[in-house]
Amino acid sequence: MTTTKKVLASGISEQEAIERAQQGDPECFEALYGLHKRRVYSLCLRMTGNTAEAEDLTQEAFLQLYRKIGTFRGESAFSTWLHRLSVNVVLMRLRKKGLPEVSLEETLEPQQEDGPRKDVGTVDNVLAGSIDRVNLQRAVDSLPPGYRIVFILHDVEGYEHNEIAEMMGCSIGNSKSQLHKARLKLRELLKQSKAEKAAGRR
Amino acid sequence: MTCSEFQKSLPYIIDGGGTEEEQGHLEACPVCSDLVADLRYIAECAKLLVPMEDPSPRVWKSIEKALGEEGLARSARRSS
Repeated sequence: MTTTKKVLASGISEQEAIERAQQGDPECFEALYGLHKRRVYSLCLRMTGNTAEAEDLTQEAFLQLYRKIGTFRGESAFSTWLHRLSVNVVLMRLRKKGLPEVSLEETLEPQQEDGPRKDVGTVDNVLAGSIDRVNLQRAVDSLPPGYRIVFILHDVEGYEHNEIAEMMGCSIGNSKSQLHKARLKLRELLKQSKAEKAAGRR
Repeated sequence: MTCSEFQKSLPYIIDGGGTEEEQGHLEACPVCSDLVADLRYIAECAKLLVPMEDPSPRVWKSIEKALGEEGLARSARRSS
């Protein structure tokens, strides 16, 4: 649904609500919150894996929105603009907390601890059909923050590597490398989970 | 081509790239073909995480309070 076609409970369009919120109308701002809170909160939750932190970041994202909504010019969809603003709020928080910076020297060569083991080539060991939302979420939550963020931004949220590189302040190659390592780590975690499940059934 | 050489190009191969030699290795090597299949499967399954959750109503209350304290809004009367 496009920005102009969304109609709020009050009978005004989202576009009108944006324009009124830009002029400081608090009720229209609240209406925009109602429309976008789910997407923003879910993003924060996925990126942090922590409910309390996700709530705090959602609050911060909407406060930023209130301060910056006057600068929205409609060059992209409002939801896209807000999503990007929210990602930046999360990244800023994680940097303050000491999110490990992506090393510029990092190469795409698989590191010893991240590389696939040679004993995983049998049919029984492939993951096909074994991933569900719960075990995937658990695995993603246990990724190191740098890996988790790139995986969420690229594979879940659909950002391109050049966009991620810009947001994270790293090179496109590093974004690709982090994503690859994230997927390798997830594979390892999901295989463990699958093996534990199989052992539990015996 | 060795598995190690093949795996150095994995990020590109996963995205559908790769040379003829790499494609040949992929078809011939069960370890590497399983690896590629798994990594592609993980990327596909990422969309399982898309479903949305609503924040607690206290989030809006906190926003409303913060806006009031900052003098950014007169007041938002209703809570969601």
